[in-house]
Amino acid sequence: MKIIAFANQKGGVGKTTTAINLAHGLALLGRRVLLVDLDPQGHVAFGLGLEKTPGLYQLICLETPIERVVRTARANLDILPSDKRTEKVKRQITLSDFRENILDDLLRSTHYDVILLDMAPSLDVLHINGLVASDWVIIPTRLDALAVDGVKEILLTMGEVAQRGHIFQGYGVLPTFFDRTTRETLVQFKEIVRAFNTRVWPPIPQDTRVREAAAFGKTLWEYSPESPAMTGFSENKIHLGGYRQILERVMEVLNG
Amino acid sequence: MAERKQKYERRPVLDSAVADLLSNMEQKQIEAQLPRRVREKKARERIKIQSRREQRATYDLPPALRQRVKEMAEQERLPASQLVTLALLRFLQDYQGGKIDLADYKQSSHSPRYDWNLSLPDELLAVLSQKQRRRSTPKLLKEDS
Repeated sequence: MKIIAFANQKGGVGKTTTAINLAHGLALLGRRVLLVDLDPQGHVAFGLGLEKTPGLYQLICLETPIERVVRTARANLDILPSDKRTEKVKRQITLSDFRENILDDLLRSTHYDVILLDMAPSLDVLHINGLVASDWVIIPTRLDALAVDGVKEILLTMGEVAQRGHIFQGYGVLPTFFDRTTRETLVQFKEIVRAFNTRVWPPIPQDTRVREAAAFGKTLWEYSPESPAMTGFSENKIHLGGYRQILERVMEVLNG
Repeated sequence: MAERKQKYERRPVLDSAVADLLSNMEQKQIEAQLPRRVREKKARERIKIQSRREQRATYDLPPALRQRVKEMAEQERLPASQLVTLALLRFLQDYQGGKIDLADYKQSSHSPRYDWNLSLPDELLAVLSQKQRRRSTPKLLKEDS
């Protein structure tokens, strides 16, 4: 089993969208996937067309078995949903012993092939729990100075977690909302390539279909499988970026 | 030793898609700063290259055959591609008309990709070593006559 976190301390960078679409992509490839929503906004369930429920709260605060709190969203894809009661989870964790490993212990006992963690744009005990549980971290970022700063912040946090003995197998920086027509995109893209080099993954193009899919409660695999966000930029019949290519990268991560 | 290590420091390899995209974007940015006339010329060239991409194919040929096609194209003052196109069309015509039977040349292959290989007979390969017969080229201009 591998646990992959989607994290960036800046909000609105595409963490949930990326997590949902990659989770469904992996499920379509036959992997048994659990997508955990660590954000009290509860947008994982919403994005998949389900009701927000306090799954994480029931699991950690009420100690309900995980099999009873997960919801099946699609074939091979279960979600552990969140809602505003997830805020109470943070308080519960703060009061617990061995508090940084609570999530890791709960998730490692499950039968899934891969678990994806959709992290909240915050820095709290739940965020640390998510990082401690994860083997790999994918950091979606818009190409603007604030979001790129968020990447640096999450890497600092990962560094602190690593200093406490946790070993990350790797991380990737995923540019999202990529609009290659603007000069600022190129400037910021060069900047993150210079700073993170091989860790930079091919970008996800800016695409209105992404917003539409979320409004209908569908993933891009269902709503618009050939949209630019899925297929990437077409250069001389070669596709660069897009969720299909990112799914290939994730499969490489899963296959070691 | 330290100096040598510094000299031969391994360069990190970017994700190929990231490298391609970055290079394309940089190229477009450089082009955007060129004068309008140069920019339009480059755009025309790009369209021309893109339109010809469909016509391109890569096949392995014996070096002697490739050389022979090149010489013939020079002698006849023709593009080699057109000469090869004519040769292939004539071959397809003969093949479809039953004049050529591939079974005469087929030998079983050990490759997992193909069932057969073509074994070219010596008399066919001998064409390559025969001296090229010169043909008169049609005169293009009045003054030539």
